Amino acid sequence: MASAAATAMAAPPTRAEALSLLRSLLRTASKFNDYNVREYIKRRSLDAFRENKSLSDPSSLASAFSDGKAQLEVAKRQAVVYSLYAPKVKSIMEIKKL
Amino acid sequence: MVMARNLIRRLPILYQNHHHRLFSSATAAVAPSPTPPVRNDDEEIVEMKGVRVSGRPLYMDMQATTPVDPRVLDAMLPFYLSRFGNPHSRTHLYGWESEAAVETARAQVASLIGANPKEIFFTSGATECNNISVKGVMRFYRDKKRHVVTTQTEHKCVLDSCRHLQQEGFEVTYLPVKSDGLVDLDQLAAAIRPDTGLVSVMAVNNEIGVVQPMEEIGRICREKGIPFHTDAAQALGKIPIDVEKMGIALMSLSGHKIYGPKGVGALYLRRRPRVRVEPQMSGGGQERGIRSGTVPTPLVVGMGAACEIAAKEMEYDTRRVTSLQERLLNGIRSRLDEVVVNGSMEHRYPGNLNVSFAYVEGESLLMGLKEVAVSSGSACTSASLEPSYVLRALGVDEDMAHTSIRFGIGRFTTEAEIDRAIELTVQQVEKLRNMSPLYEMAKAGINLKSIQWAQH
Repeated sequence: MASAAATAMAAPPTRAEALSLLRSLLRTASKFNDYNVREYIKRRSLDAFRENKSLSDPSSLASAFSDGKAQLEVAKRQAVVYSLYAPKVKSIMEIKKL
Repeated sequence: MVMARNLIRRLPILYQNHHHRLFSSATAAVAPSPTPPVRNDDEEIVEMKGVRVSGRPLYMDMQATTPVDPRVLDAMLPFYLSRFGNPHSRTHLYGWESEAAVETARAQVASLIGANPKEIFFTSGATECNNISVKGVMRFYRDKKRHVVTTQTEHKCVLDSCRHLQQEGFEVTYLPVKSDGLVDLDQLAAAIRPDTGLVSVMAVNNEIGVVQPMEEIGRICREKGIPFHTDAAQALGKIPIDVEKMGIALMSLSGHKIYGPKGVGALYLRRRPRVRVEPQMSGGGQERGIRSGTVPTPLVVGMGAACEIAAKEMEYDTRRVTSLQERLLNGIRSRLDEVVVNGSMEHRYPGNLNVSFAYVEGESLLMGLKEVAVSSGSACTSASLEPSYVLRALGVDEDMAHTSIRFGIGRFTTEAEIDRAIELTVQQVEKLRNMSPLYEMAKAGINLKSIQWAQH
């Protein structure tokens, strides 16, 4: 959870950059083998982008974007850690249909 | 063991020592190991304690503990890898960076509750904090203050600490609660005496999820000049806590209830007006003499990160958990009747739903719900067969108390899990009710309480 010291100088993201960040977050989420964490990252990323859609002020846009990038770094690292210690048995939510 | 001893007695005396040693090694306990996963067609099955499940159950027991948030784990790992120093080492980089991390974490915890970092002391968990608060405060002021006021629904560690104090000669008033789980403020004010040294009321109950009127209790205690202690283990990061607005003097916080690691907690101790405690851990005087022992840097960093995340996510999580709770309750109520929610619905943390299903036996319901990880009552009392003392304090009938299930909803719970939990619960309850003669009689309109049961 690095507090972004770089936000003071960052330029606001272009639409393409923001969409690319969202896609990376969703792609990284799918790498998690833990059902709950995977669903959380997908849902939280989409909801966060939806909430911030209406932002117009450049500095708050820049800080939201760099916050998102920091979260992406955390997610990438943790995807590796979780895969190293994946339990042999998957969650029941992934196995059985009712 | 007894048989071995009998055999030894029959042996000639010369051989007794030698054979005693042989027999004693044979009685060493063998720890049972869980059966490894068995491949059955294409399914991997886990078997433990005679129960077989085809996958890891969906987790709905958030009040017992919560999974560690990946962001918290990310913050903790460096301190298990290269930054492993002791924060009390003053002479080298390892100590300095470890101390800096602990102080950052202290500030993160403080900012979540509106306190000053100097008022936060790290401990091994909320149980230790409760011990320090209850026993430490009373023992410090033992010459002038001899009375404690608490409630009947407190966590076992608070009740046990009070019992300990009673053995030392202090007096304790255990206030009853109303049938919705809330404490009666007039009774509380009336119970306070000139020699009362502490009022302890937990913020959010771990079994029923009821939120006590913290600001009102804080006001009463402030007026009477009595320190107000609260066990906020279940409340931290879930309801907004402000130690100034709520007039709190001591607060117990737990790491593993807010998606942080297990084994760490924090005690909030007010500085103005100063609350003094007698330390329960003697040693090198760490944490300003309040709690000696090396501060576990990785755990503390984890708790700090968890608090920071909770501050950011509280609004989003609360909205989501509230809607999931509605979904769960409506889903169950739309298909089952005679479902009773234990505790007030208005003054409740939405992530804790404790329901009783009439005419269903609790143990069999839990055994049938092996694909959902839930609990009945609290983990602390589930070892004994007696019904939960919290539900008894609410005035719940014994048969309803036995059949209570506590659903815990958290940050990582999905809608699909809620729907699956509804389906499994409804199926199991219907199955048990179809087998239950009591349910048949109740449906036929017979008042069960009026029955004279024959003795054979």
